[in-house]
Amino acid sequence: MSAELPLLSVQDLVIEFDTRQGRRRVVDQVSFDLAPGEVLGILGESGSGKTMTTMAVLGLVAGEPGVMGGSIKLLDGEQQVDLLSDLDGVLSRKGDRVVKNGRKWRRTVHKRMQPLWGRMMTAVFQNPRHSLDPLMTVGAQVEESIELALPDLAADAVAAKAVDWLDRVQMNQPQRVHGSYPHELSGGMCQRAMIAVALARRPKLLIADEPTTGLDTTVRAEIVELFRALLEEERRSMMYISHDIREVLYLADRVIVMKGGKVVETETADNLRLGRGTRADYTAMLLSAADLPTGAAA
Amino acid sequence: MGDKHLRAGLIASGTVVALVLLVGIISPFVPYDPAEAVNYDQQLQPPSMAHIFGTDGQGRDVAMRVLKGTEAFFLPGLFAAALATLLGALSGAVAGYAEGWLRTGVIGTMQLIDTLPRLVYIILVCTILNPSIYLIAFVAAILFVPSIATVIRRRVEALGSEDYILAHVAHGFRPVRILLYHILWLQCRPMLIRQATYVFGYVLFVEVALSYLGDYGMQEPLPSWGNMVAQTRELGGAGIWPWAFPAVAIVLTISAFLAFGNLLARADEEEVR
Repeated sequence: MSAELPLLSVQDLVIEFDTRQGRRRVVDQVSFDLAPGEVLGILGESGSGKTMTTMAVLGLVAGEPGVMGGSIKLLDGEQQVDLLSDLDGVLSRKGDRVVKNGRKWRRTVHKRMQPLWGRMMTAVFQNPRHSLDPLMTVGAQVEESIELALPDLAADAVAAKAVDWLDRVQMNQPQRVHGSYPHELSGGMCQRAMIAVALARRPKLLIADEPTTGLDTTVRAEIVELFRALLEEERRSMMYISHDIREVLYLADRVIVMKGGKVVETETADNLRLGRGTRADYTAMLLSAADLPTGAAA
Repeated sequence: MGDKHLRAGLIASGTVVALVLLVGIISPFVPYDPAEAVNYDQQLQPPSMAHIFGTDGQGRDVAMRVLKGTEAFFLPGLFAAALATLLGALSGAVAGYAEGWLRTGVIGTMQLIDTLPRLVYIILVCTILNPSIYLIAFVAAILFVPSIATVIRRRVEALGSEDYILAHVAHGFRPVRILLYHILWLQCRPMLIRQATYVFGYVLFVEVALSYLGDYGMQEPLPSWGNMVAQTRELGGAGIWPWAFPAVAIVLTISAFLAFGNLLARADEEEVR
C-alpha cells in the first residue's frame, strides 16, 4: 500500500506575510506530489513563491504569519506525517482577519521537525559560500553530517567516508579539500562541499533550492552535471528548485511551474522537452525564451 | 597588525601571564609566617642577594610578600573569570535563542544588574557584609555577566538567520549543539577569551583597591599587593622598595592579562582567515 503513497504530498498550501501594505499571499493554494525516487523540478521566477514553498516543506518559513493553511504530508516509513496538522489550533479570528500564535506555532513545528530534519530531508541552499560554517574545515563538516547519520561509526571510518564523499562530489584533491576552510575554496567547490554535507546526512528527500544561483556559467553547468551524475549513480528523491528551465528539464522527471504564488502547470519533463500536449501561456513563454518547442497553447 | 607583532606581543604578555600563573599556583605551598618574618634589624633595605626586592618597614622580605600577595587575588580571579564567562555565555545564548518571558526575563535581569557602576555595588556589598575576597569575586563575576551576555545575545540573534545555521538546522543538529558548539565555541570563543582575562584583571584591581583603602580586602600582616602599596603612607617616603615592586607587579599583571586576552582572541580570529 505504501508504494502508492507519495513521499511528499503538499495540498492547498497557503503562505502569507504581513507587509506595510497589508497582508500579502505569497503562496496560494499550491498542491503537488513527489513520488519516492522522483526528481521534481520547481520552476519559477523570483517572487513566484517557489522558495517559500520549499521552506514550508523544510519547516523553516521565517516571517509572520507564514504558513496559514493546507497540508504537507511526508511519508515516514509506512506512516504519513502531516507537518501542518496542528495549524488550526494556532489560528484564530480577530474581526475580519485571521491571526496566528507565531510563538506557539514555532514551538510545535520545531518539536515535530526535529526528528525529521536531516533523516527525512535536508537542503542545499543558494549562496554556497554562506551555507557552510566559516569556522570549520570542510572535512569536519562532512564528518559532522556522517556522525549524525551513522552515530556508531568509528572515528577513522568517519574520516575515510568524508574523503570518499568529497570524491563522490567530484572534488579535485579531496584530501586537501578535507582540511580546507570554506573561504579557501571557490564558490563551485563550496557548493560541491555543501552537496557532500547534505548527502552524507542520508536524507530520504534532498531539496536543492537554486543551488546554482550566484555561480559562474561554466561552474553552474558543472554543478548541474554533478547532480545528474549523482542521480544516475543512485536513484534519489529530490526537489530541484530553479528559475532556469534548461536546468530543470535536464534533471527533473516532472516539473511544476509557479508564478505569482500559484502553480500554473504540472507536467512531465519529457512532455515539456518534446513540446507534447497543451501549454499554459507562461510555460510557453519560458520554453520559447529558451528556444525549446512550446507545444500547443492551452 | 602583522603576524610578527602579534606573535611578539603574545610572547611578551604571555610570559608575564605564565609567571603570574606559576607564582599563583606555587604560592600556597610556600611556607610563610608574617610574624616570624619581622626583623627590625633589617628595615627598608635596598635589593640585595639576600633580599632581591629589598625589605619593608618591618624588615620583611618584599619578594616573599609579593609572591604571597598573589594569593589575595589569584584563585578568586580565576573563579570570577570562569563564573562570569560561563554565566554570561549561557544567559546570552538563552536570551538570544528563546522567545517570550524567558528572553524578556534574562534581558530585564541584565539591565537591572547594569543600573549602577560595578565598584559602587562592590563597596555596597563590602559595607553591608564585610565579605571575604571570594564573595567579592563572586559579586564581580555577576556584575560582568550582563556585558558578556549582551555581546553573546546579539551574536546569537545575528547568526540565527545565517544560511549556514539554517543549514545546520535542516541537517538535524539539535539546537543545544548548534548553540553551544557552532555559535558559542566556534564563533564567540575570541570574545569569551577577551572577557575572561578582563574579569581576572578586574578582580585584581578590586582587591588592590579594597586593600589599599584598608577597611576591606586583605588585612595586615597578611600581604596583598594593595596593602603593600598602602604602606607608603606610613613610611612617609622613607623607602621606595616596599611599594615599588608591588606597584609594578599590579600594573604589569593587569596590562599583561588584558593584552594577552586581546592578542590571544585576535590570534584565534586570524587562525582561519
